[in-house]
Amino acid sequence: METTAKEAQETVIRDEGMILDPTPKSLWHYSWKRLKRNKLAMIGLVIIALLFLIASTAELIAPFNPNQQILEYSVKPIGFKGDVIVKKLEGNELSYIPIKGILREDNTKVYYTDYSGSEASIDKSELVGSSQKDWTKELHFYLGTDRFGRDVLSRLIFGSRVSLAVGVISESIAIFLGVMLGAIAGYFRGKTDGVIMWVINVVWAFPSILFIIALSVVLGKGFWQAFVAIGLTGWVDIARIVRGQFFSLRETEYIEATKAIGFKAPRVIMRHMLPNCMGPVIVTGTVGLATAILFEASLSFLGLGVQPPTASWGQMIFDGYKYIIAGNNWGLAVFPSIAIMLTIFAVNLVGDGLRDALDPKLKR
Amino acid sequence: MAAYIIRNLLYTILILLGVVTVTFCLLYVVPGDPARIMLGQRADVASVEAVREELGLNKPLYVQYARFIVKAAQGDLGRSYSTNRDVVQTIWEKFPATALLAVSALIISAILGVMIGIISAVKAYTVWDNSSMLFALFGISFPTFAFGLIMALVFGFWLKWFPLSGYISEGPSYLILPMITLALRPLAIIARITRSSMLDAMQQDYVRTAKAKGLSSRSVIFKHTLRNALNPIVTTISTSLAATLGGAYFIEYIFNWPGIGLLAFDSILKLDFPMIQGTVLFSAVVFVVINFFVDILYAVLDPKVKLS
Repeated sequence: METTAKEAQETVIRDEGMILDPTPKSLWHYSWKRLKRNKLAMIGLVIIALLFLIASTAELIAPFNPNQQILEYSVKPIGFKGDVIVKKLEGNELSYIPIKGILREDNTKVYYTDYSGSEASIDKSELVGSSQKDWTKELHFYLGTDRFGRDVLSRLIFGSRVSLAVGVISESIAIFLGVMLGAIAGYFRGKTDGVIMWVINVVWAFPSILFIIALSVVLGKGFWQAFVAIGLTGWVDIARIVRGQFFSLRETEYIEATKAIGFKAPRVIMRHMLPNCMGPVIVTGTVGLATAILFEASLSFLGLGVQPPTASWGQMIFDGYKYIIAGNNWGLAVFPSIAIMLTIFAVNLVGDGLRDALDPKLKR
Repeated sequence: MAAYIIRNLLYTILILLGVVTVTFCLLYVVPGDPARIMLGQRADVASVEAVREELGLNKPLYVQYARFIVKAAQGDLGRSYSTNRDVVQTIWEKFPATALLAVSALIISAILGVMIGIISAVKAYTVWDNSSMLFALFGISFPTFAFGLIMALVFGFWLKWFPLSGYISEGPSYLILPMITLALRPLAIIARITRSSMLDAMQQDYVRTAKAKGLSSRSVIFKHTLRNALNPIVTTISTSLAATLGGAYFIEYIFNWPGIGLLAFDSILKLDFPMIQGTVLFSAVVFVVINFFVDILYAVLDPKVKLS
């Protein structure tokens, strides 16, 4: 087996970490290299990427409109199939009429047995297309239907949007607030620090989920309220981390030097101190993202999050819960539970991987 | 020591003041007139005015704030909008059920979590370690309520081992499912912390010395490593209690456990603001008080904690 000098060098770099690398590269470069070697973190990253793909292409991949109700097909089991006549509505909307079978058709009308077994007819002009092939269809509900006869799979696919959006946006709010307040407290110390620490301790005293619930009750139900409520509690962890980092950074010589040169506080904070504590912020932020998704699901479960008919996983679990007790369709609650778990699991895998990858002390 | 306790006590009171302020804001920033919410939309103007007078709603905000603090300090948080019962009294009646659930879940998760963490650290990077850490990651990833539903489905509905819902007064088997469900998350967190802090401690020189002088591995693990790794573990266990009380919200709802969580859930559905306020304030106060005692416990146990 032949190995070139370059390959041999790369092997050394890979095995020994960064020591023998001739060209200096950034911390991010090595962190990414370490992260890439962590299989679990990569699995998590792939799952998250897939989720974002699913969320952004929901219209294309979902078999149904998530809010399309077919009341006759209420709470059907996994893999349910049903024949329907496709009816035109205003615009490009379609509606489905469940049938037992087509009886006959003449020039203007179609006669069919409807879902309850009685005979009915409909004008051909109301239907889609011109031949029976066009306006009859066999619908396939891979994961069954909910109580309004909506497709569970499509609602799961669209529900990923809410989870990811609330998670990302509210965690961004939390990181922004946390970094700012943590940096101010850590840089100025003294009374400023005392006040900020007091606020942190007060917010910290409330069990976060209770605080979020109370905030959402006050702010009203809905999408934006969920962002704000979750963001307003999540910043505390970030602020603590940044403050701690700033405390030790302030003692370093290069920060001493920036002061000797006469740089103003904003410049020192933004350009010299913050970049040096991004590692812990990213790790804490990832954990926070997982928590935010969890809280969103909890809020929706209580009916305080995104409002119906918008699909959200927490709400789906809440609706499906009754059917576990009734025993007719356990999937209604279990599938969204698995979806939430998988999402948070993936984020946590990446978070764990980042913790190892961004910690320069760990050269594995 | 006395000075340390007094200083901590003063700071705790300061935190409590903040907590009360936040809860005050929760109710008084609420859109809409509390008096009208209390009496319903069809109430006549005169009785709404009477209630406003009684609640002090027609006074300036700072007077209301001062009144709220004085009353809260006296343990008076008003009456429920929906049942007209005293909020604090109702909470005290429900507290034992929540405390039983939370404390039993925490004990289980502390014992099992520390055990799993030790095994993982001692057998680091083996199948034991990997599988238990994967389990722990699973534990922190599963929303409490979703896990509760699946527990209810599998053990309550399919296997019929435990009752689906109800309170302990009907028999101890009613405690099992909610307790296990509630214990999962703190168990996972405690196991992860125990593992990492054990691994840290195992790299220390004194552990190597202990091994080198030929002590049994049991003695090295428990006397030399665990003791020094205990600090973050104790912190995690104590902070888990607050999260456990919070998590009990959902568990109590799913398993119909008559504690503060179920009370809070009901009040949220009914928009019973004084009761919501009461349950939130109560949980926060419990947390602050627990933290106060934990800090003092630290000072007693750990000579490294600075008393000055």
